[in-house]
Amino acid sequence: MSGGMISKTKAEPNLTPLLDIVFQLITFFMLVINFASDNYDQRVNLPDAGSARPVEDDTRIAEDRLVLNIDSEGRLLQGEHAQGIDEAIQTIRHQADLVKLGLRAAKVKFDPETGTLPTTIILRADKETNFGSVLGIIKACQSQGFRKFALKAMIRS
Amino acid sequence: MVRRKKKSEMEGPEVPVAPMLDMAFQLLTFFVLTYKAAPVEGQFVMNLLPPQPATSTAAAPSEASAANDLPATLRTLPVVLQADDAGRLAQVSIADMEVASDPASLAKELDRHLLDPDAPFDQTLIKIDPNLRYAELMSIIDAFTEAFIRAKKEPKLSFDELKGDGG
Repeated sequence: MSGGMISKTKAEPNLTPLLDIVFQLITFFMLVINFASDNYDQRVNLPDAGSARPVEDDTRIAEDRLVLNIDSEGRLLQGEHAQGIDEAIQTIRHQADLVKLGLRAAKVKFDPETGTLPTTIILRADKETNFGSVLGIIKACQSQGFRKFALKAMIRS
Repeated sequence: MVRRKKKSEMEGPEVPVAPMLDMAFQLLTFFVLTYKAAPVEGQFVMNLLPPQPATSTAAAPSEASAANDLPATLRTLPVVLQADDAGRLAQVSIADMEVASDPASLAKELDRHLLDPDAPFDQTLIKIDPNLRYAELMSIIDAFTEAFIRAKKEPKLSFDELKGDGG
């Protein structure tokens, strides 16, 4: 210190580039984050399959879909509740009625004789469940007029 | 035009960046903590007709019938999957012939049927033991789909329950 004067120089780092990077990171995480999880049920462990086709976003939006989750015991998962086959049949019937109601409201031609519904059933079944349980759900859907099915699997990398 | 600006004119008001940076870091922390990579799910799309006699259960679209004059029974490759008590795949039969269930043998046998230009098969009906684990079934569906793709044919799979008497 010369002359007895106290230096009051403040070191001010330039924070603007740092802020730029942080905002870019925030933007990245905001874009890739998935809040809704799109009907993924964590209780269902899907089987692996290498040739399963990835679902395209435009198909996902355009298609009328009904997602059915089946746990390892072969029960249909509805929220927190696991339904046995009898209760599951009632649920599927109710869903089919809602689809038919929607078709009538939209004035879409629907032939009650053939009874084919345009909705795709997305079947997410646990890999430990047996085929008999899955077939029970499929038959219940078929009896209500659902014909299009998509069996979900994890794509092996 | 002569540009003359004093140094004092260049300096604007100082905006405190530090609070904004604090908030940005908080937001960043939130997104980093809540981020979870979405699982990569795929699907096998099928048109499954309601339960019918086995001869006509195959999910063949009408245009395929028009393209091929053979009846659906002759164009359908019959497959039977049997399970053991634990639900594991015990036996695979393709066109009434028993095949080893390992992926390589299965792929070889499927190629023999599907890649042969004289073979009429363009679809398959899989009869499945109800006790079979879903994961085992999906591995078979996977093998069939890959075989159809290798044969440059649209994968047409349908399945039915294997009854106690074998069909």
